[in-house]
Amino acid sequence: MNITTERFKETARQELANAHTQKFLQILPLRLASRRDSAYQSFPDPETAHRYGQAVRDESIQRLPELLQVFETNAITNGARVFWAEDSRAANGYIVELAKRQGVSYVTKGKSMVTEELGLNEALAQAGIETWETDLGEFITQLLQRPPFHIVGPALNIPVEQIRDIFLQKGVIDTPTTDPVALGMAARRFLREKFRDLQMGITGVNMAVAETGTVINVENEGNIRLNKSSPRILVCVMSLEKVVPTLADAMHMLRVLCRSATGQAAGAYITLDSGPKRSDDIDGPEELHIVILDNGRSAAYQDPKTREALRCIRCGACLNACPVYGKVGGYPYGWAYSGPMGQVLTPALQGLGKTGDLIRACTLCHRCKIICPAGIDHPSLLLYYRYKDVVGDRALGGSGTGWRERFVHTLLSVAGSDHRLWRLLAKIARLAANRFRSGDRIHSIPNGPRGWFSSRDLRALPAKTFRERWAQMDQKRN
Amino acid sequence: MTDQIRHRILQRLQGAERKNVAARPALPTPRENHLDAAQLKDQFMAQFEAQGGTCYPVADRGALHDRLAAIFQAEGITRAMATTDDVLLPLDLVRWGQHSGVSVVMPPDYPDRRGFTQAVFDEVQAGITGVDFAAAESGTLILAHNRNQARLVSLAPLVHVAIVPATRIVGTYDTAIQALFTNGRRPSQVSFITGPSMTADIQATMFKGMHGPQKIVALVLE
Repeated sequence: MNITTERFKETARQELANAHTQKFLQILPLRLASRRDSAYQSFPDPETAHRYGQAVRDESIQRLPELLQVFETNAITNGARVFWAEDSRAANGYIVELAKRQGVSYVTKGKSMVTEELGLNEALAQAGIETWETDLGEFITQLLQRPPFHIVGPALNIPVEQIRDIFLQKGVIDTPTTDPVALGMAARRFLREKFRDLQMGITGVNMAVAETGTVINVENEGNIRLNKSSPRILVCVMSLEKVVPTLADAMHMLRVLCRSATGQAAGAYITLDSGPKRSDDIDGPEELHIVILDNGRSAAYQDPKTREALRCIRCGACLNACPVYGKVGGYPYGWAYSGPMGQVLTPALQGLGKTGDLIRACTLCHRCKIICPAGIDHPSLLLYYRYKDVVGDRALGGSGTGWRERFVHTLLSVAGSDHRLWRLLAKIARLAANRFRSGDRIHSIPNGPRGWFSSRDLRALPAKTFRERWAQMDQKRN
Repeated sequence: MTDQIRHRILQRLQGAERKNVAARPALPTPRENHLDAAQLKDQFMAQFEAQGGTCYPVADRGALHDRLAAIFQAEGITRAMATTDDVLLPLDLVRWGQHSGVSVVMPPDYPDRRGFTQAVFDEVQAGITGVDFAAAESGTLILAHNRNQARLVSLAPLVHVAIVPATRIVGTYDTAIQALFTNGRRPSQVSFITGPSMTADIQATMFKGMHGPQKIVALVLE
């Protein structure tokens, strides 16, 4: 998947002007957030359940190398084949090769952000293999060639007329309708044919259990279950941070995940797969391939701070809590992961070179941090990224600061080292800045700091400084 | 090659400076652990309905057969597939079907996988299964799939009827999972089923039966 994060501002501006997006954003995040809040009340002690989940993720990440090896050993004992992929190319190569070897003409997929990250559909298409997204929302975004708008509902923002038109065009329906249920049922019939004759299915993974080598998926539609039941070959792609220590931990995380994502006590279908089907089972995959994907994660792991982003369980609760997401929606984030989740993950995986606006599109309000079931401190991570960017950190690809900014900082530090010099320069600066005042505001200063004036005015500077007024008051009192 | 990459990834992870693992807070005992059998059954049934399923208690085999006949008649179902699990076998559904005008087939009726898949997708209108457990915490059916519990029977048809022996209702997932994964046993697949197949992906309009069953019925057998 191409990263378009460098167009954050441009896309955000378009989305802010899109009446349909705006209408939708006024309802959806609020509704999901309130559902999440009331679902949490079904825990005997919501706060402890929340903190317990955060501790599970903390342990999973701190013990990651050990847990991954235990998971691998158990998965292989269960009869699964495990492939370690260093990057997208390796993962796509493995899956494309497998599909070619099996001679399949098409594959189906469950909704999975990690395969969006890989750009797997494009890789398969290049090899002449058709891919069908089977989650209804992903199916629609795939036909329309759009990125996901929201992790829980990738096509929630798409007007029903557009869905009608693309369904007509692609032969999913014969007679036009704008009834969501009729459109959904048409997609069911269309995709059912694909599932029935399916040779190879591909899904992501919500959790991987170290102690039993089990991969777990959560869903509401049943398309992932069909992907895991109907074909002879099943590929489950997991980013390497998905592992949790035990089945008991997984059960707790499932409760937390479902409540955080959609406000449900449980998704309609949760499937736990430990190896392929047994020889006398009539359905299920004969081969289960588990792709463990690195793609920059082991590098992000080196730094205890960026490592924190790997705790994420992709529930999407932070999207619904975020005041910025609530205005611009999912498109500006420009990659598989949107909202605060994407703001902490994308820079860790893609570096800061293309993600400069992402780490600044945050008001540091802390709502994401409070709601996060994985215990990620998004605001502090974003401040850390900003710092790394400003100092031009090599590992993260920080861009550093321009000569003008550095010059100003040097000047300030020299000026600040001597109080007489400081006062003199402050006097000059006040006079200079006030030359551009209009009324009691300064709207811009030619050749001045453009960044500042792009979104704010400066109040015209008063004639006297604080120190001068203080001295005056002292005089009067004496 | 693959081994080298595996080694490289693990080495990078192992080489990183690690922090101490945070202590876990003490979780309170789940409410369900304080319930007796009758209360668990009540909670399961209430939760199952809250999740969009329909639930009927049935006193015995005869009552179950009658209820099943009534459901199938109301839904206009004349062809169903039943699994061969240990809950269903004693119920002799094939014979019941002959008396009730429902043709009941089972996965072993098909000589190969292809024939079975075709039938479960295209020929039957309902799937009937037993359950390994039912969890009261969220009204969830728990099925361990094996040769007697084919995966597609509870998934591909538009209606799923599950027979839930009251003795198999447990409080939380944990009890079920411990039993299913005991002594190193690892079922190839375990499904948690909570309500019908659902989506709200178009304009947040909720509807049932997206890919799996549109209707899910539990008959709780004493």
